[in-house]
Amino acid sequence: MILDELLARRLLILSGKGGVGKSVVGTALATAASRRGKHVLFVEIDTPRVAEAARYLGSPPVGGKETEISPGLFTLNLSPALVMEEYVRHTVRLELLIRKIVESPVYHRFLAAAPGLKELMVLGKIMTLEEAREGWSRRPRYDLIIVDAPATGHGLAFLKVPAAASAAVPVGPVASNAKKILGLLRDPERTALAIVAIPEEMAVVEAAEFHKMAVDTGMHPRALVLNGCHEARFTKAQEAEILRLASAGVDGRLPSGAPLAAALQAARRHIRRRKLTRFYTQRLRRALPLPLITLPQLFHDEMGPKAISLLADRLEAA
Amino acid sequence: MKRRPQPRGPLASALDDKNILIVCGSGGVGKTTTAAAFGVHGALRGRRVLVCTIDPSRRLATSLGLDHLPDKPRLLSLARLAQEPAGSLWAMTLDTKRTFDRLVERYAGSEAARKRILENRFYQHVSAAMAGSHEYMAMEKLLELAADPRFDLVVLDTPPTRHALDFLEAPDRLMGFLDTSILKWFLKPYFAAGRLTLKVATRTGGVALRLVDRFLGLQFLQELSEFFLAFEAMYDGFKERAAKVHGLLRSASSGFVLVASPSRQTLDEALYFYRRLREGGMPFVSFVVNRVHADPDEERAPKRQRTGSTPRIAPALSDALTQVLADQTVLARSERRAVARLQVDADESLVLVPELEADVHDMKGLAQVAEAIFGTVESRLPRQTRRHGTSSEALESPARTR
Repeated sequence: MILDELLARRLLILSGKGGVGKSVVGTALATAASRRGKHVLFVEIDTPRVAEAARYLGSPPVGGKETEISPGLFTLNLSPALVMEEYVRHTVRLELLIRKIVESPVYHRFLAAAPGLKELMVLGKIMTLEEAREGWSRRPRYDLIIVDAPATGHGLAFLKVPAAASAAVPVGPVASNAKKILGLLRDPERTALAIVAIPEEMAVVEAAEFHKMAVDTGMHPRALVLNGCHEARFTKAQEAEILRLASAGVDGRLPSGAPLAAALQAARRHIRRRKLTRFYTQRLRRALPLPLITLPQLFHDEMGPKAISLLADRLEAA
Repeated sequence: MKRRPQPRGPLASALDDKNILIVCGSGGVGKTTTAAAFGVHGALRGRRVLVCTIDPSRRLATSLGLDHLPDKPRLLSLARLAQEPAGSLWAMTLDTKRTFDRLVERYAGSEAARKRILENRFYQHVSAAMAGSHEYMAMEKLLELAADPRFDLVVLDTPPTRHALDFLEAPDRLMGFLDTSILKWFLKPYFAAGRLTLKVATRTGGVALRLVDRFLGLQFLQELSEFFLAFEAMYDGFKERAAKVHGLLRSASSGFVLVASPSRQTLDEALYFYRRLREGGMPFVSFVVNRVHADPDEERAPKRQRTGSTPRIAPALSDALTQVLADQTVLARSERRAVARLQVDADESLVLVPELEADVHDMKGLAQVAEAIFGTVESRLPRQTRRHGTSSEALESPARTR
């Protein structure tokens, strides 16, 4: 149900504190959407090396081009420099001049130093992707575009750029683009925001901050995804038994051959983390008026297709 | 509890001797917490420390158990940690807009120039809201703080890696930009008159200008150039200070600490950052890997606490226990492999911080993190130590001092 709500619009932007697993959650959301037959594009912005999504899905690294890494699921790693170059190409259309421009030091320094220009370019590109239509059918190229926005502090600055740009320069191509982008971001019919967090103090605080600021800027958060939840593995009675045994200092082995003392130690740590999960889940429920999806903490050696598929299952069940 | 005395490693020495410590790493690895813990430990060791975060999400406030940290350095109480702390701890967050305003007020030269900038529309919006200006301002702030006589150590928390790199490159970028002909040769002749027509633009540089018009718009350029022209008087100052920061970041009294979590992804990023630091000639101090999970198999209860008896355990509980143990073992070993890889690629000081019992978001928690990193505090001022008991006792029983 919550998933339907999240996937109902054409543009879904994910934000949250760094390290909460936005790329993983985004990849799982994209997988869940593609299972429903949607053409999905998962956009990562300026990731340091290769696109995470492709790596999680066991596909070779993709660069700045839209790449179908599984049926119906495309990924794209947007680099501001490449987007800018594409824009120049599109506007100039004269190979010799294009080369002259993009190779000139002035261009590079300008691009590097002009505040906000990179953000505006990237958002403009996302808008273009949202508007892209197939040749004869006029069907949207993508049913859904999921954007992995930069971590909160800067992520919000990122989403604030169009408003700032259109206020700073009220007329001209930059302003009209900024206004169009702003219109898209604020349109409740076309764009949804999802906040990703984990059950920890700072991530929860930032989720609440982000929610407030997003609403203040006129955007529409639709759901909260709480990643990395430690779910109950023991019954209440079993937990009591574990704590009793642990303090009694028992030894030996379990029927499975596992060392008992180590297992009890692990179990105690699990119980503590589960309690924290419950505490922060409740706090988020109280603090934010948003539907909440919880995703489990995984214990795989590496994040891979199996783990992503498991998370997608969980999203579908939500 | 008695603890083994810990040798003072490169990180501990840096905390004692350096004047600037810059804490970098990708998002969510505990940079802010680590920076704050450095601050706590440094203050207990007798230094006058300022912890400054340039992260706009104001996480430091939560780390220190404060709801709001002002833009100005604020003295924090260490009363819960030590009766008479040898040093002092200050904290602040960077407010980009206010720093920019103050910079203008200080360096604009004339009242008219000041007004012209502060009332420029581009300035009003750009300086407040746009990403990227944080880094410029952080750089200016660092220079100011480094010269502040109240502190002998500035611990600087930075935004996630991508942007922390921006921060490192900000001085060079700004210098490059101000050096560019874009200002003097390209914009100024056409815009200085205050009017701009395409007719003028057909002379030198006209083609390029026409192109810029096509994809950015003359209006945009006009606003931008007004903004730049308003700053004209400040360029030399900007350049001078940018050069100073460039030097400051590379001086022996500065040091970089790279923070990571024990996952392959963030360790890879730390390594990438490490190489960039080395290339840039910036002094590296240590890696700090936060929240390392213990291998359950290696941290059983001490022998003497074991009764040696093996109780009967119901099959359902036994299965669940086996699974939880297996999960945590997989996690711990995969973390250990990731850390070992980093050690192969960068043979440097590396501090592992175990995952703590609870979330860290107050002074006491920070003191625990500091203890995990540095061991217990041994004050550098022995006389004081003798009079008031060891600081480590104070650390272990904060209730006593309340």
